[in-house]
Amino acid sequence: MRAPRSVLKQQFLKKWMMGLQVFGSAKQSMSILERKKAIKLSADIALASTRAGRTCWSRTIIADASKDDDGKVLVQHLLSPESERLKKASTGLAMENKRVRCKKILKRSCCIKRVRKGASKVVLAKSISKRIVKRRTQVLKSLVPGGEFMDDISLIEETLDYMVSLRAQVDVMRRSLAKATEVVNGK
Amino acid sequence: MDTSDKDKFELEKSNDNPINYHSSGGMSSDWRFNSTSIPNSSLGLVPTDNLMSVCRGDLVGAASCSSSSVIDSFGPAMWEHPTNSQNLVFCDINAQNIASSSNTVGIGKGFPFSSRNGIDRTLEMGWNPPNSMLKGGIFLPNAPGMLPQSLSQFPADSAFIERAARFSCFNGGDFGDMVNPFGVPESMGLFSRGGGMMQGPGEVFVGSGMKSVSGAQTQKNVMNAGEASKDVSMSADHMATEGSPLKNETKRETLARSRDESKKGAGGSGNDSDEAEFSGGSGQDEQSMLEGNCGELSAKSLGSKKRKRSGQDAELDQAKGTPQSAKGSPETQQKGDQKPASTTSKASGKQGKQGSQGSDQPKDDYIHVRARRGQATNSHSLAERVRREKISERMKFLQDLVPGCSKVTGKAVMLDEIINYVQSLQRQVEFLSMKLATVNPRLDFNIEGLLAKDILHSRAVPPSSLAFSSEMPMAYPALHQSQPGLIPTAFPGMESHSDILRRTINSQLTPMTAGFKEPAQQLPNVWDDELHNVVQMSYGNSAPQDSQDVNEPLPPGHLKVEL
Repeated sequence: MRAPRSVLKQQFLKKWMMGLQVFGSAKQSMSILERKKAIKLSADIALASTRAGRTCWSRTIIADASKDDDGKVLVQHLLSPESERLKKASTGLAMENKRVRCKKILKRSCCIKRVRKGASKVVLAKSISKRIVKRRTQVLKSLVPGGEFMDDISLIEETLDYMVSLRAQVDVMRRSLAKATEVVNGK
Repeated sequence: MDTSDKDKFELEKSNDNPINYHSSGGMSSDWRFNSTSIPNSSLGLVPTDNLMSVCRGDLVGAASCSSSSVIDSFGPAMWEHPTNSQNLVFCDINAQNIASSSNTVGIGKGFPFSSRNGIDRTLEMGWNPPNSMLKGGIFLPNAPGMLPQSLSQFPADSAFIERAARFSCFNGGDFGDMVNPFGVPESMGLFSRGGGMMQGPGEVFVGSGMKSVSGAQTQKNVMNAGEASKDVSMSADHMATEGSPLKNETKRETLARSRDESKKGAGGSGNDSDEAEFSGGSGQDEQSMLEGNCGELSAKSLGSKKRKRSGQDAELDQAKGTPQSAKGSPETQQKGDQKPASTTSKASGKQGKQGSQGSDQPKDDYIHVRARRGQATNSHSLAERVRREKISERMKFLQDLVPGCSKVTGKAVMLDEIINYVQSLQRQVEFLSMKLATVNPRLDFNIEGLLAKDILHSRAVPPSSLAFSSEMPMAYPALHQSQPGLIPTAFPGMESHSDILRRTINSQLTPMTAGFKEPAQQLPNVWDDELHNVVQMSYGNSAPQDSQDVNEPLPPGHLKVEL
């Protein structure tokens, strides 16, 4: 039971450290913000690499990071063993997302919405709740990377996986921070 | 033709019940209705609904008028297999007519008595019952809207009248021979031939209904049906434009297909029952009734319009065989069976009763879903149900993951909690990265990485880390004012629900996909660690010096940022 979670954390930590090393060796003087960005970026990419392209959100993160110079370096460094497949998957993701978005727009334009008039209270409540759920799913889609291009069911699956990964990431970062401050304080 | 019609009328006249006469006349009048231009818009309204009911009534009436007593038995008799007697069916219609307000009757009377021949007169008289029925609100709500349109479309057509007369002849024939698989198409064809005057499903239905009822000359009907189907399709198109076209189209198609199936398979008996039911015009999903016959479902009281449409669709399918839904025939058949069951959400209740009968046919290469007892078997609703079940199943997993959500039920609240949790996690990552940046000016985390590995492996958490973890919730309110209450509330939730979560997670491990097994298995551990670490710290923390240490690096960082 413990093993999978710690394995995930170990993987994340290792990759994160690798990414940070890339940064550390490249630039000697960085402002705090730059450092923060580097840390976060490497952490995100490391997290995404742990899923190795199996999930949509990880692919989205990698794809977005590859657009940036820093990200590209990191991606290449971190994902060198599986880089080929993942890079292809990430690049193809953008096209796929565009296609999905176009299809959705087309579907919505063709769909004829039936306006229900004089709905009863129950129906009214249902419609209200449906609207609320819809709005919240949209918010969730904006939160989860790459969530805009998924349907409800896969969105929830992605959210599940993303949440677990996020929690592992937070855990590792927190502990490393604790360690770092401990080391700093100890000096 | 006229003479034959007149003969029928005489037969009707012989009935003591004047209404029967009306209704019988209505049958023919239904056809006539299409042919005769109905200037009165109100009448137009009536026709659509009346058509449905009238069709049935006409069918029955044409056969033979029964005594008024039949009218009483109309209600239940309508839906039963009309094989018992024409009278019964007729009575049903009559009863319907009678039940409806008498005002409509008056109107109907006023309208029908035009300068047409005897057939027209019968048609007009038939209007009375349908009008009354219409007012009874039995028919589909679409009918009124549709009727005016369709009415205007139907020019007086003598040829149509002739055909109608022929129709009545057919109907007047062997009523017992209800089984008329092609009855619907025939009648529909007749109407359509009238010049596409079919108001839509109503018209078609009338024609078909009549056929099924009489079942006298099936062969002729078949031929007519063949032609009629094409016409019906035209009229169907008219109908489609009236209401919700897409829905109607699909419904019709499915119904048509199902009808075809039924016709080929079950035969006329099913259709007859459908017909009868349709004519009953209970304003419910006629399609479902049609389906019932096709898929051997129990007859449902579908809206007359829908039945008519389905009949038309059946015709269409027979004639053109152009299903809109691009699926395999077995699938469509199954769907056709299912669709009529639950065409509209309104009728979902009724459909629910009949739902269990529907989806028994296995599909070839699609996900086989069996409708549960008391549930609608419409393909749409089935797919929706599957989707809903999937979503709720996954929401349960999320419920376990998100702290403090075990008591929450419902998608909206759960989604809210999920959103909050994901947002808080993301903010934590940002905050932690910022802190790490401030702590380590050179980005060399090698030592820390090694040490962190030790931390990862060991369950014992050093007090410093505990202190830092405690500082997190404290720092959060300072940094993230938006959700100060989230973390404190989250932690108690975690604590209280850890055991429950663990149990639920373990119980849910089997259905979980492989991808989620890790999280599920990790969850109990996560909760253990988190609870022990965080909860203890958050509850028992009273270390201001830690916060001071933490806050110290922050202000400089913030200062730098500001600069």
